[in-house]
Amino acid sequence: MVRFENVGMRYGLGPEVLRDISFTLEKGTFHLLTGPSGAGKSSLLKLMYLAERPSRGSISMFGRDIAGTPREELPALRRRIGVVFQDFRLLDHLSVFENVSLPRRVTGEQGGTYRAEVEELLQWVGLGNRLNAKPATLSGGEKQRVAIARAVVAKPELLLADEPTGNVDPEIGARIIRLFIELNRLGTCVLIATHDQRILERLPATSIFRLAEGQLTVTKPRDLLMQEARRA
Amino acid sequence: MNRRSSAGLMPSDSASGATLHTIVAVMSFLACLALGGVLTLSRLATQWTDGLSGSATVQLMASPQISPEDQVKEALSLVTQWPGVLSARALSRAEANALLAPWLGEGNLIDELPAPQLIEVSLKPGQPIELDGLARKLADTVPGAQLDDHGRWNAELAGFAASSAAIGWSMLLLIGLATLAIIVFATQAGLRTHREIVEVVHMIGARDVFIAKEFQNHFLWLGIRGGAIGLVIALLTLLGSSLLWDSRATPVAGQYLPQITGSPLLYLWLLMVPAGLGLIAMMTARLTVLRVLGRMQ
Repeated sequence: MVRFENVGMRYGLGPEVLRDISFTLEKGTFHLLTGPSGAGKSSLLKLMYLAERPSRGSISMFGRDIAGTPREELPALRRRIGVVFQDFRLLDHLSVFENVSLPRRVTGEQGGTYRAEVEELLQWVGLGNRLNAKPATLSGGEKQRVAIARAVVAKPELLLADEPTGNVDPEIGARIIRLFIELNRLGTCVLIATHDQRILERLPATSIFRLAEGQLTVTKPRDLLMQEARRA
Repeated sequence: MNRRSSAGLMPSDSASGATLHTIVAVMSFLACLALGGVLTLSRLATQWTDGLSGSATVQLMASPQISPEDQVKEALSLVTQWPGVLSARALSRAEANALLAPWLGEGNLIDELPAPQLIEVSLKPGQPIELDGLARKLADTVPGAQLDDHGRWNAELAGFAASSAAIGWSMLLLIGLATLAIIVFATQAGLRTHREIVEVVHMIGARDVFIAKEFQNHFLWLGIRGGAIGLVIALLTLLGSSLLWDSRATPVAGQYLPQITGSPLLYLWLLMVPAGLGLIAMMTARLTVLRVLGRMQ
């Protein structure tokens, strides 16, 4: 589904912020991305949600080589990716409902076709009574849940979340993680960038990506390794 | 409920929106006046030239070789028999005085002037007439007779109308270009101001044309609203000017200066100004957004 091969990235003429990144993400897998601040997590996510192009190496998304994909075909690929931005990036002049509906709306769907689904999703993330609220009136946790609802509303094949539980209380955090797990069970490939030790320790991840100084190491969780050892 | 999903993706900036509305309204006002002027002058020029080309005037200057009565009789006889002439009649002294009264005033002065006797000649519409031949024949056979076929007036009026129309159309072109430039700047500023929104919508998978549509709709309505405001102000101005130039108040000016109001066709043309501005604004915004987005990843 996603394949990075010897990918390097730099901004302008600056130093490389990512070096020799290689990994693959398969359909229905669950991944965690961690590393200190400034290690390049955001840059890696930008490459994955097609906001930037690599300086070198090759990236393949959904079987398409990104370097050879014309610009006008990128929106179709982006629609298969859900993104939870660390700073939420909600549109302040739109209501909660309108923000969450956005991925459906940009595909040309009419409001009537997704209204019930959006309202149900907002009920699920505990914002059923805030449909018409503007982001400015929401708490940090509520904004984060709106951002998550927006990322998953179009049932993406790949979900990228940057610190999705950073601003929510443990109960809501657990609910969000359950939502991710549920999506993953339905076939969505999930990658969560986090510093949250609870997530790193408890989530049944397929692999853990650690970024340090622009370089990536991929490890498998201890219990997964043990399972594989037992099978062997 | 449907209103929820139909809100514009671009916020309506009340401050810059008001400024842009004002600028577009001013452009519309100027365009309406220019268009009104062009159409009125074209109409008047046609009226004037039609009126003049359907007639001619014979001037009979006093001559010692012939009495005034015989001069009129001979001239009338010659003119009425000339092929293409519908009718001819000698103007009375009172009628001639009435023509001069706006310049010379009413009084004894007119009676003392050696004003020529005038013969008004009506020509058959649509029928060719040899006016040069008539002029030569008159000059040869009736002493002191001179034919004025209004050709000089016609040429001057046609020249005046053409140059005025050219100025008016140039103004309209410049107003269109200025509106275009303003919308380009406003769209680019809008893209810069709402860069965050554009990026998010872009990342979510919106195609360029979707984003462009949001901007073009915004500017289409801005153009139409601003244009309509300008049109209303222009109509009030035209109405005011027509009242000021009312022929009852100033008989001379009322008779010769153009009255801009009055033609229903003119108002229909003026209605095209807001629509045209809306269209210019819409297309400009669309092309600008597509060009700017084309440079993004």
